[in-house]
Amino acid sequence: MSPLVFPRPLLRLDWSLVLAMLALFVGGLFFIYSASYRAAELPVSPLYQKQLRFGLLGLGAFVAMALVDYRRLRDLAWPLYLIGVLGLALVLVPGVGKKMYGAVRWISLAGMQVQPSELAKLSTILVLARFLSNPARDPGRFSFLVLAFVIVLPPILLILKEPDLSTASTLLGVTLIMLFAAGVPLRTFVILLCGGGLVVGGLLALLFLLPDWVPHLGYVKERIIVFFDPGRDPLKTGWNAIQSALAVGSGGLWGKGYLQGTQDVLGYLPRTVSANDFIFPVIAEEVGFVGSSVLLSLYAVVLFAGLRAAAVAQDKMGRLLAVGLTGLVFCHVFVNIAMTIGLLPIMGIPLPLVSYGGTFVVGAMAALGLVQSVYVRRRL
Amino acid sequence: MSAAGLWNDEVFRLRVLLAVMLLALGALVGRLWWMQVTNAALFQHNLNEQSIRRVYVPGSRGQIYGRDGTLLAANQPSYNLVLYLEELRRPGRWQNTVTNVEATVQKLAQLLGQPPQLKRSDILAHVHRRLPLPLTAWRNLTSSARARVAERTLGWRGVAVEVEPARVYPEGALAAHVLGYVKRTEPELGEDETFNYREMEMLGVAGVEKRFDHALRGAPGEKIIAVDVSGYNYRFQLPGLAGQLGHRDSVAGRDVLLSIDPRIQRLAEHALEGVTGAAVILDPNNGDVLALVSQPHYDPNELTGVITHETWQALNLNPDKPLLNRAVSCLYSPGSIFKPVVALAALDLAQANPNATYNCPGHFMLGKARFNCWEKLSGHGTLNLHDALMYSCNVYFFNLGLRAGPDAIHDRSCEMGLGARTGIDLEGEVSGLIPDDAWKRRARKAEGGWRDGDTCNMSIGQGAVLVTPLQMASVAATLANGGQVWQPRLVLGLRDAHGSWQRTPPKLNRAMAWDAGHLQLVRAAMRDVINAPTGTGKHAKLPDVLIAGKTGTAEHGGKGEGHKWTWMLAFAPYEAPRYALAILVEEGVSGGSTVAPRLQKLMQGIFHPDTGEGEG
Repeated sequence: MSPLVFPRPLLRLDWSLVLAMLALFVGGLFFIYSASYRAAELPVSPLYQKQLRFGLLGLGAFVAMALVDYRRLRDLAWPLYLIGVLGLALVLVPGVGKKMYGAVRWISLAGMQVQPSELAKLSTILVLARFLSNPARDPGRFSFLVLAFVIVLPPILLILKEPDLSTASTLLGVTLIMLFAAGVPLRTFVILLCGGGLVVGGLLALLFLLPDWVPHLGYVKERIIVFFDPGRDPLKTGWNAIQSALAVGSGGLWGKGYLQGTQDVLGYLPRTVSANDFIFPVIAEEVGFVGSSVLLSLYAVVLFAGLRAAAVAQDKMGRLLAVGLTGLVFCHVFVNIAMTIGLLPIMGIPLPLVSYGGTFVVGAMAALGLVQSVYVRRRL
Repeated sequence: MSAAGLWNDEVFRLRVLLAVMLLALGALVGRLWWMQVTNAALFQHNLNEQSIRRVYVPGSRGQIYGRDGTLLAANQPSYNLVLYLEELRRPGRWQNTVTNVEATVQKLAQLLGQPPQLKRSDILAHVHRRLPLPLTAWRNLTSSARARVAERTLGWRGVAVEVEPARVYPEGALAAHVLGYVKRTEPELGEDETFNYREMEMLGVAGVEKRFDHALRGAPGEKIIAVDVSGYNYRFQLPGLAGQLGHRDSVAGRDVLLSIDPRIQRLAEHALEGVTGAAVILDPNNGDVLALVSQPHYDPNELTGVITHETWQALNLNPDKPLLNRAVSCLYSPGSIFKPVVALAALDLAQANPNATYNCPGHFMLGKARFNCWEKLSGHGTLNLHDALMYSCNVYFFNLGLRAGPDAIHDRSCEMGLGARTGIDLEGEVSGLIPDDAWKRRARKAEGGWRDGDTCNMSIGQGAVLVTPLQMASVAATLANGGQVWQPRLVLGLRDAHGSWQRTPPKLNRAMAWDAGHLQLVRAAMRDVINAPTGTGKHAKLPDVLIAGKTGTAEHGGKGEGHKWTWMLAFAPYEAPRYALAILVEEGVSGGSTVAPRLQKLMQGIFHPDTGEGEG
């Protein structure tokens, strides 16, 4: 036993990741303030203060997760997975799930609104890491793929039902990344990607050619149609797309200066989303291309650190866990920013560590904590 | 290491993943460079020099037609001068902006030569409550004012002329109570729907405008428009996003085709000019409402759009209540026009003998209670049912009613639709009352149950019996067509998306099980009411058209105060009726002297459109 009071594993943390994470979070606080300070008439405490409290909670989760030996989570993987799926199912029970902005994603837990999909994402990654790292299974076999999808399908379907297409597709993306890292043969993987592309293409074709056959999925159908064919209904979602692009583009090289952005203040960016899903346009308008590039660089550091943790992991489960969690961060960052600059349809997906949102901040920091749990127990 | 072996190396795969992720972030950076550096000026230009406005566009309201195609409710453009406050804002406190808006309004007032319609408090209220919306400074600009504004305000920021549809009723007050009117209202929007500009919607407040509001209104559309500094429409261009600017068309509301015949409606309104009352004319063959009049009436044009305080006060505080639709929303005692119903109930259900005679000495004694005939001095002498109907003898009907019993009268009345709403497509219809023992025990506990005195009152359409003019017109139609109770049909159909009328079929509610001989007897008596030289309705007689009818004079208010509701119920032509109607005049002298001449004038107009009467 070490005589040190300071827990020893923390000495071996990847400080580049810690610094990047803190920089992203603190920067996010400033822009949450920028996006919400003029809505002073709201009878609630300012968003940035709430976010700060969640951030401290998240830091606690980060440290706790880093201290926990991820190998001990192996036995907890399935129970956590079941709890996650149960939470998702609970959201769909009328009267339990809470509806906001057209989708049921929240449940009340001890007086707080939580999104079970956050826990479900993490626990699904954990179970996948455990399953894919099982030495008894051959990644070259077809059943390997099938069983992996059997694991991720329940949470994906339940999340789709909320409806939350963005989270569901994020989870699918993470699964693909983990399968790739787990050593699925290249040819199988390429076939899988192409097949998936065909299926998605077919579904889109169905959506456009026989729209009445596709079951109603809330706003999801509408947004996909709008993205691929803006002439159809460019209004509700097209509005956000135009306004966020205007905010980003008008930021220029250096930006208009902190607190000088006008798009969210004038209400062009809906105030209900400018602090969370549309925080990036607020940032890009005020700090321009340079600031946006800094932001993306910080994410690059996080991704790099995550994959480095995977590369030096003690065992395969640790590697896959780190890959999955890093992939999760990547999917969120990419989809969120791409949608605000017109590269993807508008989806309700936040920017990790930066967007306002309690469960999400705690979840993201806990995820990075798990990555560190792998890193501090690396091969030396 | 071979290529295949390389792909089997897990760390190599991680490097590939890292490369893919960094490439993806690089792509984002590339796009950002393109937006924020290469095209920054363009985006900035679009943000600063043009404004994008999201506009809520209500569907154009459907029109309302009379059965002959006459346009009764239509839309016409109204031009408003509006101010976009975001373009008039001044730095610093809000008061600075308000002052600037006020100054702009003053300048415009000079330009228009019209005093400002806005006070500083109005502007402040707008700033507080609806800042993103334009502020309407003047409504209904004349074309010359419009031209002046267009010429002189070129280049002024934040000033624009906007078109708003306004409701007009081309025939003025014609069929006002049927049509109803609309008011301007803010559209109802969901929590997350923000619009810079909402075109005001019209909401039906009364009549068909209210009942068919949903169909008339259609579905709203939206559009995103970009405007340049002077407020004119600007072609919006953003690289890669140009296609996203667009619109969703609103869906026009559906037109409504009324059963109202404007010619007959006008004649009926004319016949009731100068009195307080109501008239309903039905087609007895299908229940079509050909005319529905309530006097005094109002001009819906005065109530649509901006209502002046004076107009509203005048209409609302008028003791004659011109907004009230007396044809469906007011209850009256029918008096003697109820007698044909009583006669048929007695004949059919109590086997009363129509040839039996009773003597009328001018009054009727029920125990110690004295019930008068209207001919209370001389009485009608001895008479049979035909003559009792023709002279409207109360004493005969006291006897007949007691013979029939209250249940027979009650049941037959209800079968004919009395005591219940007809279900006409109008707001505010009331059901009326046909009393019975159960009702009396419930509503008048102190008086105990039903008594013979109640039967006597009921037999002459008095006491607690209450009807609407529409219900009595329906009774007239049922007597006219031999026993069919049609649902009054006010709306013939709605126009569908292809422009053709979707017809509402007529609805037969019931066929009365009347003995043909009994009906014939009652109808003949009604014919003689008007056509016999001694009938009570002789003043309604026309030389060439056989009209059948029944007069009624119902007392109301305290006994002896002399308040009377005077009625006629009629159908014509007698052999093959095409019109069945009820006319009510409040505070008349008697059905025969007050209503019959008006009925004659009306029928003259209907059957002889060329004689000049009524076409005005």
